[in-house]
Order: sequence, then C-alpha cells, then structure tokens
Amino acid sequence: MKSTLKNACYAMALIAGISSCSKDKSNDLISENKGNYILTVTPVASTGVADYLLTADNLESGTLSTAGNGLEQDGTFRYYVTTNNKFFSMLYGQGNPGAVTTYNIQNGKLSKLSNFQTETVQAFAPVNNDLLLVKIPRTYGNKANWYQVDTDKLLITSEGQLDVANLTGNGETAHFSWLKQVNNKVFAPYFSIKACCADGFGTNYPDSAWVAVYDYPSMKLEKIIKDNRTSFIGRYFVDGLGVLENGDTYAFSSSVATTGGVFSSKKPSAITRINAGTTEFDQNYYFNFQDASGGMNITNWIYIGGGNFVVNATTAAEKGAYNTGVHIGIVNVNNKTFKAVTGMPDLDKIGSVTDHNFTPKDGRTAYMGVTLKDGSSFVYKIDAVTATATQGLKVEGGTITSISKL
Amino acid sequence: MERDGNLKPWGSLFCKTAETVVQRFYKRQLLNDIKSYMQIKQLLLVILLILFHNQQLVAQQNATQKFSGTVSSDDGLPIPGATVKIGEYIRVTDNKGEFSFDQIIPKSYTISIVYIGFKPIRKSITIGEKQKNRIEFVMDATTHELKNVDVVGRTKVTEVNRQAFNVTALDATKMHNSTLDIAGALDRVAGVRVRETGGLGSNFNLSLNGFSGNHIRFFLDGVPMDNFGSSFQINNIPINIAERIEVYKGVVPMWLGADALGGAVNIVTGDRFRNYIDVSYSIGSFNTHRSVINAAATSKSGFTVQLNAFQNFSDNNYKVTVDASDINTGQYSPGTRVKRFHDQYHNETVIANVGVVDKSFADKLLFGVTLGQNYKEIQTGARMVSVFGQWHRRGNMIMPTLKYQKKDLIKGLDLNFNANYNFGKEQNIDTAYRRYDWFGNYKQYEGKGSERTRTMYKYGNNAGLATTMLNYKLNDNHSFALSNVFSTFDRKGSDEINPSNNAYEQKQKTNKNILGLGYMFNTADHWSLNLFSKYIIQNSIVGQQNLNQTTTQSQFGYGLATSYNFNRNLQLKASYEKANRMPEATEIFGDVENFEGNSNLKPEVSDNVNVGLMYSFSLQDVNRFSISANAIYRNASNFIYYQFNQNQSKLVAGNRDGVTNFGGDIEARYSFKDWLTAGVNVTYQNIINQQEYEGNPPVLSPVYKDRMPNIPFLYGNGDVAFSFKNVGKKGNNLSFGYNLLYVHAFYLYWPSRGTSGDKYGIPKQLSHDVNLLYSLKNGRYNISAECKNLNDALLYDNFSLQKPSRAFYLKLRYFINKTA
Repeated sequence: MKSTLKNACYAMALIAGISSCSKDKSNDLISENKGNYILTVTPVASTGVADYLLTADNLESGTLSTAGNGLEQDGTFRYYVTTNNKFFSMLYGQGNPGAVTTYNIQNGKLSKLSNFQTETVQAFAPVNNDLLLVKIPRTYGNKANWYQVDTDKLLITSEGQLDVANLTGNGETAHFSWLKQVNNKVFAPYFSIKACCADGFGTNYPDSAWVAVYDYPSMKLEKIIKDNRTSFIGRYFVDGLGVLENGDTYAFSSSVATTGGVFSSKKPSAITRINAGTTEFDQNYYFNFQDASGGMNITNWIYIGGGNFVVNATTAAEKGAYNTGVHIGIVNVNNKTFKAVTGMPDLDKIGSVTDHNFTPKDGRTAYMGVTLKDGSSFVYKIDAVTATATQGLKVEGGTITSISKL
Repeated sequence: MERDGNLKPWGSLFCKTAETVVQRFYKRQLLNDIKSYMQIKQLLLVILLILFHNQQLVAQQNATQKFSGTVSSDDGLPIPGATVKIGEYIRVTDNKGEFSFDQIIPKSYTISIVYIGFKPIRKSITIGEKQKNRIEFVMDATTHELKNVDVVGRTKVTEVNRQAFNVTALDATKMHNSTLDIAGALDRVAGVRVRETGGLGSNFNLSLNGFSGNHIRFFLDGVPMDNFGSSFQINNIPINIAERIEVYKGVVPMWLGADALGGAVNIVTGDRFRNYIDVSYSIGSFNTHRSVINAAATSKSGFTVQLNAFQNFSDNNYKVTVDASDINTGQYSPGTRVKRFHDQYHNETVIANVGVVDKSFADKLLFGVTLGQNYKEIQTGARMVSVFGQWHRRGNMIMPTLKYQKKDLIKGLDLNFNANYNFGKEQNIDTAYRRYDWFGNYKQYEGKGSERTRTMYKYGNNAGLATTMLNYKLNDNHSFALSNVFSTFDRKGSDEINPSNNAYEQKQKTNKNILGLGYMFNTADHWSLNLFSKYIIQNSIVGQQNLNQTTTQSQFGYGLATSYNFNRNLQLKASYEKANRMPEATEIFGDVENFEGNSNLKPEVSDNVNVGLMYSFSLQDVNRFSISANAIYRNASNFIYYQFNQNQSKLVAGNRDGVTNFGGDIEARYSFKDWLTAGVNVTYQNIINQQEYEGNPPVLSPVYKDRMPNIPFLYGNGDVAFSFKNVGKKGNNLSFGYNLLYVHAFYLYWPSRGTSGDKYGIPKQLSHDVNLLYSLKNGRYNISAECKNLNDALLYDNFSLQKPSRAFYLKLRYFINKTA
C-alpha cells in the first residue's frame, strides 16, 4: 500500500508538471468607436478567417482594432455594398447559396435588419431601388442567372437568365467583370474565357473589349459594343467603369488577358469612353495610360468627381491578373493626365492597399486603406488637387478590405 | 501479439487477464489457431514488446543453460501464446506451442504457465547441468471462469498500450455487438476527435491531438490505406472487421512505414480463427441497414479461403432544425424542423483471400481482391443554408492484393511482403441545373448548369503499393528491422459531358519510396530503447501546358522511443521524432473538381515529443484502478494547409510556417469485481498559430500566437458498463453500457478577434448513448439494442452541420467457429 501511495504521488507530480505549462494571452480591448463610417477588416491568416465590421466617426485620425472588437461576419471573401441607406454584407460562397446580412446605422452603431438568402454572385451593383446580382458560370454552355433584390423589402423580387455562351461570338464564354447602371441601362463589361479545362480563365481573344448593354428591369440584351483598341474592361470582380456628372462613361482596360497562363494582350492599359446617351465607344477618345504612367497598368480605380479618378497601378514587373496595384495616382480623364501621388508609405513597406474605398465625390478626396508589412493598417486621405496622401485613422489587427459610409 | 495472453508483463495488474464472454467462447478454438500467421507489423510489435517488457536480466554468469519445452492441451493440441515464466524470465509459446530460454542461470525456480481457458500450471523445477533441459507441459482446460477482470477491459491490447510509443489500442472485439464503424470507435479514444458532417457515410475528419486530414495516416494490418478510395474508409468499415485498432498519437513507429506526421491509426484485422463464421445484421432509424459477414475456412493441408463482406445503407433522413429559405424570395423561416431528403448513402465491399498457410516456402501466401462500391448523395454544402437535391458521388474499388510471410528465412530473420493496386474509379455527378429548398421544392433552370459545379468527371488514381519488411533478431537484447514502402499514383480521367476536357488532361504522376531502418535494444526489465530512421524520396511529374515538370524531393527523418518501468505498476515512456510528410498527390495535382493543385509544395517537417505515464493499482483486489496520462508537444513547419485559390472557386494547398501544439490527455479507469467497469478520459490541446507573416506580400499577422480556430481543444468521454452472467440460463449474459461524449464549445474563427458576444462558434456538445446486449450460448447468438443521442441534442462537429437526431438500432449477430 505504501508503494501504491508513492506511485500515486509520482503519477500526480508528473501530471501536474505536464499540465501546468500553459499561458494565457490577454488582449488590450479598445472600446468600439461609434460613427457612420464602416470599415471592414480581415485579420490576415491562412485559415479560419472572418471579416469584422468596425465603425468610426472620422477617417482622418484615431485608432481602431479588431482585438476583442468588431462585428464578426460569417467568413471572409465577403463583399460589401451600400445602397438605399443600408449596408449589405454578402458572402462569396464558392458557388453555394449563402445568407446576405443587411445593417443600418443607428446612433453610430451597426444594427442588423435582416438575413435573406441569395446565390454566390460574381457581380453586383445598385440599380434604381434594387440591388442587381449576377451569378456567372465558368463552364462553357451555362447561363448566367440574375436576381433583383428590393432594398426596401430585402427580398428577391425577380430573377432570370442571361445567355453568356453566345455573347462573344468567338466560341468562348463571356464573364462579366462588373455591372454598372448608366442612365436607365445596365452596362456589363465582360472578358472572353475558354471556360474549360486547364485554362478556364484563359482566352484566345485577348485584344478586344466588350460591353453588353441590358435594359432594366427586364434585363433584355439590347446591344453588345466592342472595341479593339484595348483588351477587356475591368478585371475579375473589379468595376472598370466610371460615370461622370455629365453622363459620359469611362472605361479602363488593365491589359491582363491571359492565354495558357501567360499575359497575351498586345494592347496597352488604356482608358476609353462611351459618350452620354450613346451605346458606342467614342473612337475619338483614347488615353494610353501605359505611356502616360511610364509603363504601368491600372488595376482599380475610384471616381471622385470632377473628372478625377484615383487609380491603383502596377509596374510591368508587378503585373498580375488579380493583384491590386500599390502605386497610387490621379487620372483626369478630361485632360488625359496622370499624376503620381506622393506621401504614401514607402513601397517596400506596403503590404497591400484596399480596393473598395470611399469618396465623398467632391472632386478632390478619396480615403484609401493601406496595410503595412508590419501588420498595421491606416486610412490614407488622397488629395487629387495636390496629388498627396496623408496618413489618417489607424486600424490594428487586420487589413482594411473596404471603406464605406451610411 | 495477436492472441490473448501474449507477452503480459508478469505480475502486473494487466496480466490478470480478463476473460470476456467472447474470449471465453474462443478458448477452445484458439488451439486450432496454432499456425496462423502473424502480420509482420504484429511480429515487430512482439519484438518491440519483448524488448520493452522482457524481464530477463543480462546473463551475468558464464554458466547459463538453455531450457526449452512445449505447452499443449490435454487433447494434444499445442497451445500458442501461453505465457511461461521462470523466475524473472518470461517467454510466450510460438505457433507450435514451443518456448525456449536461451540463457538461464542454473538454480531452482518456480515455473508457471498460464493461458486463458486453462488451469494455470505452477510447479517447482531445478535447472542445472544434470537436469534435463526440455520439458513438455500439458494444460487442462478449465470449466470454471477465471475470476480476475482486467480493469481496463482491454486485455488483448494492453501490451500495445505499453509500448514506448504514445499509443492507445482499442479492443475491437469488445464492440463487435455494437453498430459502430471504425470512426465511431475511434471517437472514444482520448486525444481523438472524429468530426463528421452528417450521418452514415458522411465526410469525416479525424483529428489526433490537433492534427488532422492528411497529417494522419491510416493502415490496415500495417499496410497504408492511402490508395483505397472512398469505398473502404474508416467511416464505412464496420467494427466487426477489426480485432484491434491502434492509435499512435504523434511519434509513429518505423514499422508503420509511412510519412505520417501527426499520428497514425492501424486497423488490425487479425485472423484468430482458421474456421469460423461471424454474421451480423443491424437495422435502425433513418432506414439504416448494415450487415457484415466474416468467414474463413482452412484445410488440414493449409489451403485457406477468407472472406469479409460488409454493406451499409442509410437514407440519413434525420430531422434537422434550419433556417429554411423561400426558394423564390430568399426569405428565411428561422428554426424550421425538416427532414433531410437527399442524403442516401450505401456501400458494399467484399474482401476475399485465397492461399496457403504453414508451408515450407511460406508461413502465409495469400492472393486476394478487394471489391467495393459506394454511392453518396450530397445534401448540403459547407453551410446548411446550401441545399442540394441531385448532386451525388460514386466510387468503386477493384484492388488485387498479395500477402507473403516467411519466418526464419535464416534463423532470426523474418520476411513480410505486401502488394496491392487499386483500379478503382471515383466520380462526382452534378448535372441538374436546379436550386432546391429544404422542403424539397426546386426551380429548374434552362440550359446546361449544375447545383454547384457542373461535372461528371470520372477518374482513377491507378495507385499501387508494395511494402517489404525484414526483421532480424540477433538475440534477446538486440534486433534490427528494415522496411521499404513504395507507392505509385498515376491519375487519369475524363468527363463525358465535357469531352474537350480530355485534351487538357495533364500528366499527374508520383512515385514515393520510404526506406526505414530500426534498431531495438533493451538492457533489462527496467528500460528499453527503440531507434529508427526513415528516408523518404518522392518523384512527381506535373504536366503543365505542353511540358512535364519533374520534381524530386527527399527528406530524412529519425526518432527514438524509450520506456522505463519504475515497477510493475508504473511505467514512464518518452519518444521523439523528426517527422516528414511529402505533399499528397491530391495536393500536388488537385482533384479537378474542388481542389486545385500546387506543384510547388514543400515537404512538411515536424518535431514531435511525447511523454506518457501509466499507473495501475488495486484495493482489496476487487477495486481496480488504472491511470494513464500523455503529454504531447508538436512543432510543425512548412505545415501543409488548405485555403481558397485566387478566385475563390477551389481549395488549394499551401505551406505555412506552422503551428505548435502542447497538450495532453488523461484517462482513468475503474472496475469492480467482474461486473462493473467505468472510465473517463479528457483531452486538452493548446494549438497555437506560429505563422508570423501572412499574405503576399507578407505582413505581420494579428493572429500570430493565437489559438487555432475551429478545432476542438477540450473534450472527453465517459463510460460505464455492467455485465451480468448467466442471466435466464447458464451461458447467457446480459450487459448494459452507457457512453458520454463531451466537446467543449469552440470558436469558428480566430478567438482574439471581434466582440465576444457576436462571435460564431460551435456550441458545447453533450451526447449520451446507451446500449443493451444479451448474448446466448456463450456468445453464439447476440442481440443488442442501442440508442444514440438519447437526449436528442442538436449536435454539431462542423459549424451549422447538424449530426443525426436520436436514433435506435438493433443488431443481431451469429458467431461460430469450428475445429478444422
């Protein structure tokens, strides 16, 4: 019995030793900021990542953090849109249907309105009082499905199909880069894809731009307009159109079409125009961005008013089909000018920049998210007149994926 | 090692062998099992165990003697596996009932011989120069029952547990009357969680101390199951196929020749009987039908035929509580109770072997084939809001096998060879351009489309495997083992609805070879040591456009395992391994559907440290206790993980800096006399993200050093069983059992982020299972009834994916075995 007790003591001592080596990590809680700006933040990680919604009352100073703070969203790869004074949080669900959560802001805090179910879509845009969603196939012969969500009822009120197999006329499938309401039409620029096999997103037609024009709300195809001066307009999940106050629509081409995984377009990254009231490319307007910028290509842009766009660009060496450029510049489409923005962090310190940014459309200002390689993120205020960037609100614990305001 | 009573450490509690209903029934037939082979894996185990637990002292005197003999039963048949003890020396009789002590110090001893079902022999002998050095012993069969009951209720497996490795062995024979599959049985092991996405046949993910997926390897009788396909997996193999399941947590012994990194599960089918039939059928809720036939016949000349066949069928139409959306407007009706309507699963598998045993050229030579097929409907996506009504999968398996074993090629050298090749095909069928809701309503769209991704792609992995094992036992203290595992993979496929896909079909081929060398040494009864190394080389050919890219990767790993016995009741063990894992073929090539290939993956490397402790004691001989505790530390680098690809349409594997895990598990068991057993185990693991920089370009991660999300970190099981003998009639036994599963709540996403009240998580799971078993005629007829999820709790392993509601099962089993 004595040795039994002795053994028990050994055993307990060992177990105690084994189990006593844990440590807890405490987080500094930063109380939630109230405000009408909504920042969506993704903690950078390879797995188990959710987005967090943070609110702020100004974008030019202060600090926010996701540590113990922020409204957790179900997963990342979410897309956000504001319309009709509501904030829509949509899951990109890998082809599966998913829940869209809508919020409004009350007293500077996000308040959930409802959940409703939609498909995973690859393009969406506010049109009239609706949110138009389009699910785009990647396999040849399939049709795209569209859904109109009434933003008052927060329900799908209408749906239908679009033929994407025969749009290009070249035997390949059309994949919409984005959707845009232009006057009472929906403009849907697309790129041509093989939609097959090992080169599904590749094309044999890298040197054309197309826009499908649809009537709304019938979504009847009215016209396809084509331009061989550039490669396709926009990019996968990127809005390549900007509509000016006078109704003119400008389009950028990034020149990132690939064939067999290799960039194949011979056309430079450039900006073209569709004049107000027309559904044709204006053959008299062409702005070779690549030349104006010293060899760069546009990856994203945001229209801030007065003919000014804040553009993200990549150098020839950085060029990729999906990466957002970290070179920031101001393009004035009226004057066909490009100015590089100064005051951004050093390029070698930038991890990434946000591609869904906010502008009050004053012709001068945009607020752009920047994440540095040390993990800290900031909102930079871009001034188009001075072509300068100024560091503003600091966000800790993640990358800013979008900035919006209700 | 495949039989009861082998290699029990003398005098330990575990040695007081339990005699279960089944074992008691088997005792006579075991005599006929004399010449049955040992799988090489088991053979090595024997050697390891001898090394680790052999109580023989190194001969200190020159004047040692050889002493040998045989043990046979009163009807003249040899008894293999009987334990023979002379003083501190222990031997186990071989297939011919023979034992031999090579170096024994001449003096007077008490010799004792025990074997289940026989009266123990205990007599005094004197070993000396003038005494004869060979004695034949005859044991009398007992008619009374042995009174001792093993506290753990895992008698056969106790010795596996006592290896220097961090291993838990489950005695599957104890569960043969349950309706468990292998996965269900594993879920009751400390340190193991099997996470399922639904009912019978659903996808599973086994995690062992925090590692899961391809980090864990599965073996069937020591042969890797990597190439078996979906028709033969742990979620469809019934428990009756297995005799024992060994779970290696962390350091994996060399003789399981594979590049497991997080642990290994070895299903030991054994072949205890030369002539037997074991038939069972169960019926249960959700239209579930399962049957198993295991049979073997062996002639006196050594010709043998073995057959294992099993079938599972279920509609899995259990009720779930969901937010059902309106198919047209997308509006949710929260908390709707609906039946699953597209979740049928069935599989049918036959394993047949024909060959000879106990010939001069082979102890065993078997030619076999495994034929199988499965069909699975897919009800939901990764969330239950995604409902499908037509999408399904099929797979089949056509696998010829060869097994060859020969002992003592030269004295002390044993050879074991296994080979198989799987011609099976897998197919994913999603061609209905429909959208379903939870009530089974659907919208039919025009054109060619799908519910998720349109495909009928059918492919075969053409996977082959050859394992060779050589073991050489120099003497009682030293032995050596050499193993080689070669595997090949060459995927080919086509899609009948998209024939142009064939033109794009790329070369997808890998060859992998793992060479292992081991050395085992033990000095005395107190400690033992096992050193091993593995060299892995993998050659992969990845077709890219028009050229084939060939990559060759090689890694060298090594480890040691050691154990120390303070005394008979207290054992301490420790092991370390530098483990390597090569990227899997699926990870390199993708699967054409949901998984994109990454040919730039680097091998994954980890340091594994295990420390374990086993302690047992009894009070007044009727109250028996045992405690085992294991601690584990892992540090994995170039950890292979899955994430979404650039346009988020498929998963793709990548390397990450890694994760660490520091955790452990504790199990305590208790038994009272021979009618009550109870146990509880608890596992805790602290799995920490060690990825400091993430993304491209890399930025400092805010979740560096955070606990990994969506992995259970605290869980446990409890069980109580009562058994009553001779109920109603002599030889009829009744038992009642209860099992409890507890899984602590855990977060779906990173714990440190977001407002705590608004976070998504998997709630605490608490489920109760009960079972009742009545066996007649000493186990020839068995009737069991089970209720799973007694309290009808909403159970989730994966966020939002509900597991079955309360279910009832009834199982009938018939077992008979005959003398040849």
